[in-house]
Amino acid sequence: MKKLVVFMILISLLITSAFSATKSSTTTPSTGTVEGSATYSAETAAQYKYQTNDKNRMVTIGSNGEKFQGPVLVTSFGQSTDGSMIEQVMKRLKTVAYTYNPIATGADLAGIKTVVIAVGNSTKGLGAAGISQEQETQRAKEFMAAVKNAGVDVICCHIGGATRRGALSDAFADMVLPLSSFIVVKEDGNEDGKFTTFATSNNVPITLVYGSKDTVDAFKAIF
Amino acid sequence: MKSYIKNIIVLVIAIIVAVIASVDFLKMHVNEEIGENPNITEIKMLSEYAPRLKGTSLDTEVYFFDSGVEGGTFLILGGTHPNESAGLVAATALIENIEVEEGRVIIIPRTNNSGFTHTSPFDGMQDFFTLTLADGSERTFRVGNRLTNPVHQWPDRNYYEGTSGRTIYGTENAEVRNVNRLYYGTEDGVLTEQVCYGIYNLINQENVSITMDMHEGSPEFLYLDCTMVNMKRDNTTAMSIASDMAISMNFDDLDMRAEYSGVTSYGLSHRSLGDNTDSMMTLMETYNPSMGPLHGKMDDDLIVNGNEPNYYEASLDGYIYFNVPEDGYPLIERVARHMTCIRYLAEAYSWEYPEESIVISGIPEYWDIVDGGFDSILKPLV
Repeated sequence: MKKLVVFMILISLLITSAFSATKSSTTTPSTGTVEGSATYSAETAAQYKYQTNDKNRMVTIGSNGEKFQGPVLVTSFGQSTDGSMIEQVMKRLKTVAYTYNPIATGADLAGIKTVVIAVGNSTKGLGAAGISQEQETQRAKEFMAAVKNAGVDVICCHIGGATRRGALSDAFADMVLPLSSFIVVKEDGNEDGKFTTFATSNNVPITLVYGSKDTVDAFKAIF
Repeated sequence: MKSYIKNIIVLVIAIIVAVIASVDFLKMHVNEEIGENPNITEIKMLSEYAPRLKGTSLDTEVYFFDSGVEGGTFLILGGTHPNESAGLVAATALIENIEVEEGRVIIIPRTNNSGFTHTSPFDGMQDFFTLTLADGSERTFRVGNRLTNPVHQWPDRNYYEGTSGRTIYGTENAEVRNVNRLYYGTEDGVLTEQVCYGIYNLINQENVSITMDMHEGSPEFLYLDCTMVNMKRDNTTAMSIASDMAISMNFDDLDMRAEYSGVTSYGLSHRSLGDNTDSMMTLMETYNPSMGPLHGKMDDDLIVNGNEPNYYEASLDGYIYFNVPEDGYPLIERVARHMTCIRYLAEAYSWEYPEESIVISGIPEYWDIVDGGFDSILKPLV
């Protein structure tokens, strides 16, 4: 009888520990880590040291020298709402001519001097636009090829924060970063250092902002 | 004979308890009073747009504010889900305070009027909560239930297909009493769907330009402090307006984001009214800890002060997405957020469509509402 009780207790402990292991491996971290991100994890986020805060809302590393010129084309890679937010940022600058086209193609580059690309994937946004992930990826590739040919300045923007990171969003960022003349990132989207590492390694100036609204000040400094 | 006396005594006690309980419960069938505002130009009933609702418990008041100046029309829905208290209080506060200078505003404070007449007893929900104003007077609101009272619409069918194509069956079948699952509605549907039809008809007949459906969500919900927007195909303007509102709220130090209406959110207002009317459709959610399963004791404190330590702990431990404030998320802040969102949406809409301007005054700034408390937005009732 005693052996049976001990056996039952051991089985219970085994099941409990197995359940705990499963639970911890599927927990969504509070940082809003998105499933599918290769480098983004709660551990790396916890080690990250923020440079911006509520008082010091904007930090720029490096300098872009001359200011960027209009007309500006704002577009989105991934169809998140961040493209529309950047449009509102441009509206608040009041000094630069801009157009917003979330599904811009190379044909929209005529006369454009600067392209602002909001990178961030949204399945809802893709659904609303009625396009597939593959179509969006293809458009982004073709657009970047056209940008390279046109020789226009590129500003890479990631203002969706931690929730807008993940394999799909990162793939769009990786298309834009190599041709970028400037990077603007809401800092909680940089908790793995992806953008600052690229910027410092490639000598591309970057502005980290604390909140979405600070993007306006970041843009005022470069336009 | 002795046993008969015992039985009679038990029966009488049971009747007394039942009568007392019934009298108390029937108080929930009395609509909370809404203060007067000389700027109200007309009060109609929704049954004017869905005649079969006339005389039923789902018929509900529709408040009109007509500036007399040409412009757009803003429809505001409160109480789609009665237990999402910020919607009812915000709608009440708007009715008592606003003046429309251009265009029109239409407000339905109790969209599911029947839902206010019962509670969720198995969730430990209470029936009322009370706000005390500076002069010592009280404003009492019902908590209600997110679904139509089964006394008014019963039984729940095993299978129901709404006009949006959404099918309701199996464990979801009570959702046939959920207004926000049955849009755009039909005249001969179940009573709840007739409410949807009334709103759909109202939007068409009154040429509503933009609609806000005010909601709250349990802390586990992904889209809190978020506004859903139906971006009709090939039209980015709706999202531009919503983003304008969101960034304006950011400048007030308020978290707010706009998100696309899900293409498969069939039957929800932002999806199905957006797809089937000309109105720009929006739906906003705020955090309500009384709605989640982790909440502790249900009382006025939880509803009004919005402070639930269990959710703060869950947030710290990473079990929920929303960043729960340590001191809670009081009702006044949630109401202020809804009112501020509406103010900025009207401004953004008017900027985008100046020929359809909707100019609303009388909505205080967010921090003035929060600092001033309910006295800044609710009138003492005489």
